[in-house]
Amino acid sequence: MMIKKNKLTSPLFREDADRKSVERKLRFLEKIRKHPTFSFAIFALVLVLMQVLSKAGLVSSSFVTAIGTTVIFCIVALGFCLLLGYSALASLGTAGFIGIGAYSAYYCLVEWDLSIGIAFIVAILAAFVIGIIVGYISLRIEGIYLAIVTLGVAQIIKEVLSAICDTIKIKGSQLTLFGVETMKLKTDHVFYILIAILFVLMVITQNLMNSPTGRAMLAMKNSTSAAQAFGISLLRYRLLAFIISIIYASVAGLLYMMYVRYVSNSSSTLFTLSTSLNILGAVIIGGTKSIWGTIGGTFIIYGIDKMFLQDIDFFRENPTLITLFCGILVVVVVMFYPGGLAQLVMELKYKLTKLSKKIREARYGKDLG
Amino acid sequence: MQQIFAYLQILVGVIPSMCAGILATFAVTLIFKTSYTTNFAQGVISAIGAYVAVEYALVHGYPLWATAIAGIVVAFLIGIVIDVFVFRNGRFVNVLGKQIITMGLISIFIGLIPFVFKLAHYESVPAMPFIRLTDGFRIGGDNGVFIQYNTILALGITLILLVAVFILLQKSKWGLSVRATASNETVAGMMGINTKVITAVSWGIAGAFGAVAAIIYIGNVTLASGYVMTTTQINAFLAGILGGFATFYGPIFGAVIIYLLNVVIGCVCIHVPILSNWKSAIVYLIVMLLVLWKPQGLFGKKMVKKV
Repeated sequence: MMIKKNKLTSPLFREDADRKSVERKLRFLEKIRKHPTFSFAIFALVLVLMQVLSKAGLVSSSFVTAIGTTVIFCIVALGFCLLLGYSALASLGTAGFIGIGAYSAYYCLVEWDLSIGIAFIVAILAAFVIGIIVGYISLRIEGIYLAIVTLGVAQIIKEVLSAICDTIKIKGSQLTLFGVETMKLKTDHVFYILIAILFVLMVITQNLMNSPTGRAMLAMKNSTSAAQAFGISLLRYRLLAFIISIIYASVAGLLYMMYVRYVSNSSSTLFTLSTSLNILGAVIIGGTKSIWGTIGGTFIIYGIDKMFLQDIDFFRENPTLITLFCGILVVVVVMFYPGGLAQLVMELKYKLTKLSKKIREARYGKDLG
Repeated sequence: MQQIFAYLQILVGVIPSMCAGILATFAVTLIFKTSYTTNFAQGVISAIGAYVAVEYALVHGYPLWATAIAGIVVAFLIGIVIDVFVFRNGRFVNVLGKQIITMGLISIFIGLIPFVFKLAHYESVPAMPFIRLTDGFRIGGDNGVFIQYNTILALGITLILLVAVFILLQKSKWGLSVRATASNETVAGMMGINTKVITAVSWGIAGAFGAVAAIIYIGNVTLASGYVMTTTQINAFLAGILGGFATFYGPIFGAVIIYLLNVVIGCVCIHVPILSNWKSAIVYLIVMLLVLWKPQGLFGKKMVKKV
């Protein structure tokens, strides 16, 4: 009893307690810093900053528009990353499902005069229903049939959509929050919504990847037989991954309609095979298993083109050059460097730390380094 | 009688695309069986064959039959090059990786086309039939069925090629090697078959068949872009699933069924015009239902895999 009292009153102990609490706080901060969500939040803030800078006139508005469009494709790519990297399935129907989302937005907001929330629900439900039908039929046979079947589905979706209504357009006055007339959404408001949704989806995807579901998918990717032996239902998890990926695509289509507000089927290539291939390329180039890789890959395929290359005449005159570049990268990455951009960054980081350690050792001697 | 002629006219109209579809189906099946991958670049490779044929006929003024042969040869060579330089080095890439490589190849070829062919910069390219588009004859009086000579030529070429290839597959040494490689590449290699050559030649033949298909096909439509063969290719893959990739003849029957379904739905659409937007969707749905009923395909066998 006495000892305890002594200890409490002793100045030494108080100092110790202070240090401990500071340490705890530091550790807490470190934990936050290390948490994946933190880096996502920083990324989102940087993107938001772009819009703010553009309002201040420091960044051109076309640059921000390019970022916004790229962010939409990032959302598609995130879903595709889950499908390709975690359950080893390839789909060529991405463009079709973007189309479903875009047309749901058009019909809900313009033709039926409903609110954005309902448009979201309709887009997700439509993707869900088609996904279950397509996925159930094709995945029951074998994984590699999914690409074939989705290729056909996308083509049919495009044909039907363009036959029903070739050009879809949303006017600014038709885009209101909660159906209130005064709360019109301008393009820059939609930009913030885009960033918010990207952030939320990044967090969801990250958690999903580290959840039992993600582990099950990963097991299935590495060996279907072993996964089955552990009681993982192939059909169930493959279907889940497929449906998640197309819901992402559908939501992205809806956001595209909210942001760009105009798609013409006959002139735009948004709903064609090339979009699906570009998304696939983005995910492959970035590294199929990493969220940051996927985002980076999308920025390479879409971002660089839209942000910088469109200003250079040579690239504007030869729009297929980026396609060619994307194709070559895909083949090279799959054959020689399956980890993609994410692995490249990791290796560079490792080499840099090694190099800096060596330099420090050379300068201060082995023990001090 | 008038009604029947209208139906027959739809059937005759579908025949050229059906021929193209059958040839493309055989090409897809051949690659599926020898390399165990679905070659998504099939369509764009055959489109390049068609580009060579049309470019040299239209821009440089050579006769179409000569440029068509040149196009077929080019597609054959592209097939071999892809196998030798990409797939032979990517032997240890898994099934999904192989699929993705073929998808990447689509992007490469689509990107290359505008740099190689002047035709890609044309506003519009006319359809390139072997014989002038208006030539043909009528059966059954003035309102009868109009048959173009092109259709007969397409049908003839397809039948000759199919019969030849199936006889070769069954009777020749090459056919035996292909069938052996298809059933098990490692064992076929052990038995002294040069599987590398067989695979490369299969890719070449698939490319050449695709080019023939494309040249037949562009007689009816115009060569708008490298994606011109996408519909045919989708039908070819569907035919493969419907007929089952286990045999060589199954997918061919699958292709015939799919195109005949198209004809039937087309006939129904005469009476119910609302459906015409949904035509391909209905065909697709029927095929999917058939696959749901028989997951291994109509002519398929249950494949047993060892772990």
